[in-house]
Amino acid sequence: MKYIFLTLKNLSRSKRRTILTVLSIAVSLFIFSALMSLPNFANQMLADTSSSVRLACRTKMGLDYPLPESYKTKIIATPHVVAVEPDIFFGGIYHDATDQFPNIAVDPDKIDVMWPDWGFSAEGVEQFKKIKTACLVAQGTMRRFNLHVGQRIQLRGTVYPFTVDLTIVGTIAKGPAPSFLMFRRDYFEEAAGRPGIVDNFWVRVDSSSAVPEVAAALDKQFANSANETQSDSEASFLGSIIGRFRMFFHVAEFLGLVVVVAIGLVAANTAAMSIRERRGEIAVMRSIGFPARTILTLFLSESLLIALLGGLIGCGGAFAVLKIFAVNADALGPFVVIRIPPFVVAETFVAAVLIGLLSAYVPAKAATRRTIVDSLRVID
Amino acid sequence: MDTRSNGLDTVRKRFSVTLEHVTRLYRRDEFEVRALDDVSLKIPKQSFVAIMGPSGSGKTTLLNLIAGIDHATSGEVAVGGEQITNMDERELAAWRARHIGLVFQFYNLIPVLTAFENVELPLLLTDLSKAERKTHVEAALKAVGLADRMSHYPRQLSGGQEQRVAIARAIATDPTIIVADEPTGDLDAKSAEEILNLLTQLNQRFQKTIVMVTHDPRSERFVDIVYRLDKGVFVGAEKGGAAPRPVMGPLAPE
Repeated sequence: MKYIFLTLKNLSRSKRRTILTVLSIAVSLFIFSALMSLPNFANQMLADTSSSVRLACRTKMGLDYPLPESYKTKIIATPHVVAVEPDIFFGGIYHDATDQFPNIAVDPDKIDVMWPDWGFSAEGVEQFKKIKTACLVAQGTMRRFNLHVGQRIQLRGTVYPFTVDLTIVGTIAKGPAPSFLMFRRDYFEEAAGRPGIVDNFWVRVDSSSAVPEVAAALDKQFANSANETQSDSEASFLGSIIGRFRMFFHVAEFLGLVVVVAIGLVAANTAAMSIRERRGEIAVMRSIGFPARTILTLFLSESLLIALLGGLIGCGGAFAVLKIFAVNADALGPFVVIRIPPFVVAETFVAAVLIGLLSAYVPAKAATRRTIVDSLRVID
Repeated sequence: MDTRSNGLDTVRKRFSVTLEHVTRLYRRDEFEVRALDDVSLKIPKQSFVAIMGPSGSGKTTLLNLIAGIDHATSGEVAVGGEQITNMDERELAAWRARHIGLVFQFYNLIPVLTAFENVELPLLLTDLSKAERKTHVEAALKAVGLADRMSHYPRQLSGGQEQRVAIARAIATDPTIIVADEPTGDLDAKSAEEILNLLTQLNQRFQKTIVMVTHDPRSERFVDIVYRLDKGVFVGAEKGGAAPRPVMGPLAPE
């Protein structure tokens, strides 16, 4: 404890260098903790849906191909099926191309049965079922564009070449994304000239154990037709979408490690320069009687303190930024729910400790290994 | 009973420093340098002595051996009655902390520490409490006349004041022997005289044995004995110009 003041005094030796080193470690660990958190949101989404009683029934050809809406009546007749909601992705733009958020058209009659966990306002659901041009909007989008219930908005089609004129009748509190918007499919059909297609059927079954049976039954029903289906649980469906990003997540994790290694090398160089400058002082302290081990410990303490401070700022900064980002940047849809999980915080601090210890150990050990006479020669 | 070792012990107790047939060889690339060649001398207790000689004569090497910061290639070195030749690095470090006070030519104060903290540095190696360390530091700085500069950093002190702080650091632990390597080498004439007077006072007031390497001829009148080296060989000792006062044991080394 009596040596702590030495450590703190040495950190104030070159305040600019200390601050820059702390900030460089902070920035790198900010990047590290943010990148390492990316895969976690996908796991969190899948975990949330793991016990879902919903499944998705889409065309076997891929997400970009539609199914006929006529399949709805057949699906609803399947045993264990409680509700069916077809959806079609409209992809409209509010104002500019930069003002995008996911928007789909669904049938109004069973939305509260299909998605009771999405936190629809009761009044909103009632109005949605009554008014053809009604829409329900996620609270994130409401905040982002300062919208209110009762307001009329227009969405300019990108996939479909027409504009829909909607009235906000309620909000979605806990949807798949804080930016979601849903309007009525019959309005879409009318505006689109009755194409009679849907992108996906959401199917709710009476128990989660029935999901595999119903999925198999649906696919069997439409096998060898012009529009064969592929039905999966909601978790598998989301997993297949997220699976496209798995390589991106692995790359992100790899980049996070690269950043840590890079800053570790920079910190090692900085530590080596600092220790080299202080060779004379090391010699004097050793000649006074300080054991080499004590001097080594002092250097490691300085380096560790800098790295831990950088880790605290970096991880704390990432935590705060992602929290603010989640509140304000709703355009990315599901990706806004990125949070820093506790194990990433632990990993970040472990990285900070490793940077602190390893960057200083080699130059400090080398410096304390030199003979006192050779080190004193440096001064003279 | 080993008569020779008993005799040697008796000699070592009478003298602060005893070197017997000490040789120090260095290897510099492919060259072997004989910095000291079969040097034998004795430094009496409580004496203020100078080691002088031309550049490259081995003065600093001799001082380093006495201070325990270097090892002799052969021969024996005893300081304060203790045989230090065969101590390992850890033992030597602990021994230096207790017995040696070092003063360097370029002061070598830690720039980020105040005068107080610089003087306190060797005391951190002891078991003294914070309050006790404070007492020692204040006494040491008072002894060198810098009681009013405790919170000054080295950059805020003159060269002479820095060297005084370095001397205070050297005496703070009440060492057996003070070893000074060219303590006036970086000072002007007036400051050099002040430092030499200070060292004389420490020797006389506190009965400290002081071994000083110097090539400053002014130093001769302050010291009791001058030991001369040339090309690593001890060439002789002569009385210095200091006023006579009782010292323990004979002055003339072998």
